[in-house]
Amino acid sequence: MGLGERINPQCGFMITTDSLTDYVRKALPDAKVSVTDRTGTMDHFSIRVVSDLFKGKNLLDRHRLIYNALDEPMKDGRIHALEIKAETTDGG
Amino acid sequence: MADPLEEEIQQEIKKHKILIYGKGTKALPMCGFTRETMQFFDQYGYPYEVIDVLPNPAKREALTKMTNWPTLPKVFINGHFYGDTDILEPMEKKGELEPLLKDAFKNI
Repeated sequence: MGLGERINPQCGFMITTDSLTDYVRKALPDAKVSVTDRTGTMDHFSIRVVSDLFKGKNLLDRHRLIYNALDEPMKDGRIHALEIKAETTDGG
Repeated sequence: MADPLEEEIQQEIKKHKILIYGKGTKALPMCGFTRETMQFFDQYGYPYEVIDVLPNPAKREALTKMTNWPTLPKVFINGHFYGDTDILEPMEKKGELEPLLKDAFKNI
């Protein structure tokens, strides 16, 4: 169990920002990921993902890519709520 | 024969120009994102409908399959799927939303 990864009595395992970033990078290896914990409870997140693999994809498909990458922690409840920003490196 | 739930959804998105499938009702939203989405549309003044899918897991699943989108709320405008406010807000900033809504309500 890594530092910062501990058991929350209500919710079981919590996710860390590192592990969240790893999930995203599995699908988008070049991604720069910034994670904000919106509620201080480490289950309501806002993430900004910058990747050139988004080029030529509309916002819906970009978000679908991210949701797919985070399917596991979303299904097991470690991510309860997620706000997404998806951009390319040139800001597109 | 199409899935009856899918048919029900098709009817609903045809009937309501702006439709939010969410958690809770207009009077009592049960999720911050559903409330946020309602507030987002409140500023435009066009009528919208909120359909609570919390009591209906099968419908929730059908919606997820139809849209390939795992989360609620799910917003439909003029029969097309537009995700949630994470999609709508950037569209608004680019000036894409207003014409879309105008077009949806042009014959009403």
